[in-house]
Amino acid sequence: MIREYLRREGVFLLSAGIILFFIGFGIVQPDLLDSFSSTVHAAILDNFSWFYLISVFFFLIFVLILAFSRYGTIKLGRDTDKPQYGFFGWVAMLFATGMGIGLLFWGVSEPLVHFLHPPSFIDPASPDAAVFAMRYAFFHWGIHPWAIYSIVGLSIAYFSFRRGMPALISSCFYPILGDGIHGTAGKLVDVLAVFATVFGTATSLGFGALQIHSGLTHLYGISSAISVTIGIILIATALFMASAILGVEKGIQVLSKSNIILAIALLLAIFALGPAPYIFNVFTSTLGGYINNIIDLSLQSYPFAGFEWSRDWTVFYWAWWISWSPFVGLFIARISRGRTIREFVLTVLTVPTLFTFVWFTIFGGSALHLELEEGAGIAAVAGEDVSLALFAFLEHYPFAGILSLAAILLLIVFFVTSADSATVVLGSLTSGGGLVVPNYKKVVWGLSLSAVAIVLLVTGGLDALQVMAITAAFPFMLVMIGLCYTLAIGLSQEKVRE
Amino acid sequence: MFEKILVPVAYGERREELKKAGKLLKGLGASSISLYHVNEPGSFFRGTDLSWLTLLAEALEEVGLTVEVKTGGGHIASAIAEAALLEGADGIYMKAKRRWHIETMLLGSISRDLLRLADTPVFVHKARPRLPDDEMEPEPGNLNVLYATDLDEASARPLPYVMKFRGAWCHVLHVRRRMADPATEQTRRKAVDGELQMVAEELRQYYEHVTFEARIGDPATEVLHVSDRIGMDVVVLGRKKPAFFSAPMGATAERIVTGSKASILLVPQSGDHNDS
Repeated sequence: MIREYLRREGVFLLSAGIILFFIGFGIVQPDLLDSFSSTVHAAILDNFSWFYLISVFFFLIFVLILAFSRYGTIKLGRDTDKPQYGFFGWVAMLFATGMGIGLLFWGVSEPLVHFLHPPSFIDPASPDAAVFAMRYAFFHWGIHPWAIYSIVGLSIAYFSFRRGMPALISSCFYPILGDGIHGTAGKLVDVLAVFATVFGTATSLGFGALQIHSGLTHLYGISSAISVTIGIILIATALFMASAILGVEKGIQVLSKSNIILAIALLLAIFALGPAPYIFNVFTSTLGGYINNIIDLSLQSYPFAGFEWSRDWTVFYWAWWISWSPFVGLFIARISRGRTIREFVLTVLTVPTLFTFVWFTIFGGSALHLELEEGAGIAAVAGEDVSLALFAFLEHYPFAGILSLAAILLLIVFFVTSADSATVVLGSLTSGGGLVVPNYKKVVWGLSLSAVAIVLLVTGGLDALQVMAITAAFPFMLVMIGLCYTLAIGLSQEKVRE
Repeated sequence: MFEKILVPVAYGERREELKKAGKLLKGLGASSISLYHVNEPGSFFRGTDLSWLTLLAEALEEVGLTVEVKTGGGHIASAIAEAALLEGADGIYMKAKRRWHIETMLLGSISRDLLRLADTPVFVHKARPRLPDDEMEPEPGNLNVLYATDLDEASARPLPYVMKFRGAWCHVLHVRRRMADPATEQTRRKAVDGELQMVAEELRQYYEHVTFEARIGDPATEVLHVSDRIGMDVVVLGRKKPAFFSAPMGATAERIVTGSKASILLVPQSGDHNDS
């Protein structure tokens, strides 16, 4: 009986045990946790930052080859399956997937921080630095993250919808593990997916909480003590836990849709109130530079000058996207049943990417315009505190108070909806891939997400969030390479016309 | 089927060894041998006296085989493959020479080249089966044969050759990759078992004992593992064109020849012609 329970709930017990141990360790020995995670993180970055670059580039090439090969016509489902959602509905959902806390957090601050602190071979705060800043913002938020999500999404969709297996990462390893997917190796794969999701999501929640706090401090002058950030996380936790346990999916959906409309309204307001021709020029020239240099950007680690810059930014982003990939991959797989591999890859790579490009051009380009043309001094604020950059930027617009309040509201709702979805995804990953997740698992994962975010913020703040995202992503990157291999094996067994 | 065999020889070949090989070949049904020597470009011995070849021919004639001596030139493996075709040989027999691994890596080996180039079945004689002594007659009836098949066209072609050995034990081995999901895997497993059963039935009249086994994994690794595990004398397999990505690793057949202690009979697929 107990043996059967342990076998059935192995992934849940093991992953929850590791996460709880991590939280306990962080509470009892915060300094030791900080020094331990920093050591692991430094070892990964010192030795394997090149591996992150080459792996992510490989993921991009791999999905493009699949899309344009004869396998591109294979359906993610049975041959007779029709797409579950209409094309525009599907595109709208992908579009919404690209939105979240990250865009609000980094939309203004990333281009400004690159502008102020580029690698040593570029003059800081120069026009060259601005070009570099926008190009790298496009690069970090461009097609590479979506190639990462595509690998996981394609694998789950292929093995679950076409091959009839549970929607778990371990299912994708059947071609090499066989029935071993139900054994230790399979459970380990799922535990790594849970581990990556918890730390990836907690990093985003930490960013969100920091920025909400900065916004409130900026608007209402409330205390900047860490206890307030913790309080924000606890309130948001209560909200998303209530939604997850009460099962108010429809309410969450309405909230999520309203938030996307509010985000687009904020985007349009900034565009309408900003220098439109300048923004268009930034968009076209950055897009040109991005396309023209994509291979160099993909593999460039600046080993002779700027290596640390590449490690701190590009490798962090790749790790963060990898840690988000089980979550996003599972979602985009679920909405893509009945699509062909070609449709899936090309749409997933382009639609959300184009949206993020527009977002970064409007927010980042406008911020750079204020900085270069009007000497607004926002870059210095971003250099000091990245979470404050958005509010310092909005201050230069009419109705700054309303815009800032809208941004805070967006952040809170994104926090709640992301955490709610992550709780359900984690529950599903630890319940054999089923959609019905017991409440106790939702409680465990919901509390774990918030507790991990708090522990990381208390032990090392923003840096600790980034350190754990990179550390947790590393093993899952190896899992993703395995996914490419097993997907290739699966597809090679398909009878496809030449 | 093995009536006429082309046997490539080089200067320094030991007469006694060749005579033993002749006995073995005769035991397998050979009646005629084409003794073939390739003059290597730039070889120290080129154009010199080839009387050593006549001595080797005499050794084979003593066993009761008809022998003709031929010489050629150029790239050794290509010349042997071409000669086998021109002479209408049923097969090529080569005794594998031990070479330092590093030397093989740098220079390649003639047998490996030949396996890739020949359009005629190639028998590479390795440590097993041991060659018969002077006093002893070869006993092909004692041979243990491993027939490695993936049950497609390329693997069906060696079947008549497997039958020809008429040994003591034939083990039919099927190696494949695992299917992508449990349901397809189960269907495939049933189909494979059925097909192996049929192949085994066909072979039962030629062998005292026939067994079969299906394994999942890398073909070269599994063939070598099984061959060593049950101490087979000869491994019979078909040659297929290597997949693009397997080229740097070497084709399955080449990897088996390199790693096997058992002799290999490699039967090329019809239409799998080399343009060399």
